[in-house]
Amino acid sequence: MTAMPFLGTATSALTGHYATVLIFVLVGFVFAGLALGVAKLIRPSNPSPAKMTTYECGELPIGSSWIRFNVRFYLIALFFIVFDVEVIFLYPWAVMFRTLYPIAGLGAIVFWEMIIFLGILTLGLAYVWAKGDLDWVKKLTERPENGAATAALEEEASAP
Amino acid sequence: MNVGLPHFLTVSAILFSLGLFGVMSRRNAVGILMGVELMLNAANINFVAFSRYVEHSINGQMMAAFVIVLAAAEAAVALAIVLAMYRNFGTVHADSVQSLKR
Amino acid sequence: MELNLNIPSWSDLRFWLPEAILCITFLVALLGDLVVRGRRTWVPFAVSVAGLITAGAYAVAAMNHGLDAGQFQGHTIMGSLMIVDGMAGFFRLLFIFASLVTVLFAWTSEEIMGKRRENKGEFYALTVLLTAAMMVMAEARDLLMLFLSMEAVGLISYVMAGYMRTSLRSSEASLKYVLFGAVSSAIMLYGMSLLYGMTGAMEFDGIRNALISGTVDPFALLVVVVLILAGMSYKIAAVPFHYWCPDVYEGAPTPVSAIFSVGPKAAGFALMIRFFYTTFAAGTDAGTQLVQDINWPLLVAVMSVATMTYGNLVALRQTNVKRMLAYSSIAHVGYLLMGFVLLSSAGLASILFYLLVYTLMNLGAFFYVVAINNHLKSEELSDYVGIGFRAPWAGAMMVIFLASLTGVPPFAGFVGKFYLFTAVLDKQWFWLAIVAALNSVVSLYYYFKVVRAMFLSTPAEGTDMSPLKLHWLQYVVLAMLAIPTLALGLFFEEFKGLADMAIGMMGG
Repeated sequence: MTAMPFLGTATSALTGHYATVLIFVLVGFVFAGLALGVAKLIRPSNPSPAKMTTYECGELPIGSSWIRFNVRFYLIALFFIVFDVEVIFLYPWAVMFRTLYPIAGLGAIVFWEMIIFLGILTLGLAYVWAKGDLDWVKKLTERPENGAATAALEEEASAP
Repeated sequence: MNVGLPHFLTVSAILFSLGLFGVMSRRNAVGILMGVELMLNAANINFVAFSRYVEHSINGQMMAAFVIVLAAAEAAVALAIVLAMYRNFGTVHADSVQSLKR
Repeated sequence: MELNLNIPSWSDLRFWLPEAILCITFLVALLGDLVVRGRRTWVPFAVSVAGLITAGAYAVAAMNHGLDAGQFQGHTIMGSLMIVDGMAGFFRLLFIFASLVTVLFAWTSEEIMGKRRENKGEFYALTVLLTAAMMVMAEARDLLMLFLSMEAVGLISYVMAGYMRTSLRSSEASLKYVLFGAVSSAIMLYGMSLLYGMTGAMEFDGIRNALISGTVDPFALLVVVVLILAGMSYKIAAVPFHYWCPDVYEGAPTPVSAIFSVGPKAAGFALMIRFFYTTFAAGTDAGTQLVQDINWPLLVAVMSVATMTYGNLVALRQTNVKRMLAYSSIAHVGYLLMGFVLLSSAGLASILFYLLVYTLMNLGAFFYVVAINNHLKSEELSDYVGIGFRAPWAGAMMVIFLASLTGVPPFAGFVGKFYLFTAVLDKQWFWLAIVAALNSVVSLYYYFKVVRAMFLSTPAEGTDMSPLKLHWLQYVVLAMLAIPTLALGLFFEEFKGLADMAIGMMGG
């Protein structure tokens, strides 16, 4: 870790790293500001009402963007979460795999552990798929109980 | 300024208090769950900070990774239950769900 | 940073066979349910029963092997995350038995198997997985595994409580369960993170070494203990973390309430015993000093009294039998906490014995409610009038369960309470014993109210008094619970010895 000379050698390695980040951020701001500022100086200024509208594929926007989303999006989000966070285990495993694999008696465990883990996750995906929860519109014909379930709901809603 | 253990602990304590406040003041079930996420992340900050400054080992970071996964799993299950409740009751407000005897 | 590798070896699996079998059973039951498209429900049912019996056989074999060798001090597995010792062996058998009878009884329950219900196979698969998770709770010896197993049990329970997803009561129950559960586990995790910071260790014995070295501030430790206790007392439904309990038990399908009222509670006690007994170095002078420093006995005694008194007093004015049983289960947690006050091995052994007895009698009482609910579609006490004569054998067994829950001799509940009382009286905690005895008297009233409705009240004119036809499997399971409840009241030495041994063979 070479401390940056212009910050002085007294700074710790940690501070040195933060300084790098800070400088990067500053450079970013200056670069963006410079580009916008120069553009503003040299471009022609000719505003018209049509230019000021929110751009939506050339169409005028209809209604507010604060609308209720379809509840199905939440379901998709749930599946995404479940299959997304597996990476938190995959990543450290992948980092260590090269080191651990050659060790006798350890390589097989390290490899198969992850295979089993992924296998169980795949099974979960298959379960969701087979149950029809990945379809955007659930096929109601395949579930004859569905009408009955609604009846059960009404029955239990009236129960004390 | 040197960033040390007390800074991490302060941030985590603030986060935990905010989470607890959210849990106690929210009526919306999803809002309560967001408060819980804050509390879990406060504990995560503690784990990572202690693992860096106290134990000098990787155990705390491992714990944090598992907690993140569990938090996701818990959020998934809880949101699914909130959805089921929304379909049955037409609301996500935890205190307006009162079909069971007090 | 040094890297310490906790990489397991395949040979660890030898000691972990029951859990591994249950995990595989879960996957197979789920797959089987998928293959038969949820139509032939006997497939997941048969797979679950077979898996539970196989796992039980291996658990018994492991226990026998450990007892024959004269010591079952434990094998640590998965690095050092879990330990299989005498206590884990005891709880394994308890959990497998409880799940097995629940699965068998659920097969006859309208609430699970009714024509309109969906996803019937999932109930069996989830019960099996719940069993495995509870067993891990009894085996955890590391903060990571403690949290993981508690969350696993929690997540499975949330789903099971909401099993009847189109029912208002069921979805409300699971919402309350998940909200309370998430908050209390977050509080506990924060406490655990502070404990980790104070001691610099994740393993229970590492924490113990740091604690008895005396570098920890007692007040800070008290705060941490209170935070952790919050999460654990949520699991066992002790006051003041009991709010979810009556609502969840009332709203969830009754077979699910039955397993909730014994399984996760017993697992919570197993976890508490191992965690606090190990980290406080109970039994040593330094440990006694530590326990005194943070005033542990008073803390738990107050909790115990509050729990049993609250449970009993509120149970008095319940008109719904299921909800009354929920409050009665809170009261029983109060009795159980008595054995926890002094962290003595005698007290802990009596907790284990009482948990065994409690499992039998409480499951029995809940199952009777399931059987009656199949016919009456009601759990109201007013509908129970005269029900005893419509199904006399089942009614007689319910009387046994209720008498045992009250703690009347010669039933098992009396012996269990006797040991708990002795454990506190030995250490001169007279006021605690007196309060508990008074509480037992109070509980007599509301248990007797059920018996009176069943047998002694005269039904109104025109009430249907035709005999109820219960499924033969229901009689078998009720007898499986009633006979031990009677037998344990008379021949308890053997099983008390097992509980003593389990505590004696608790590895660090």
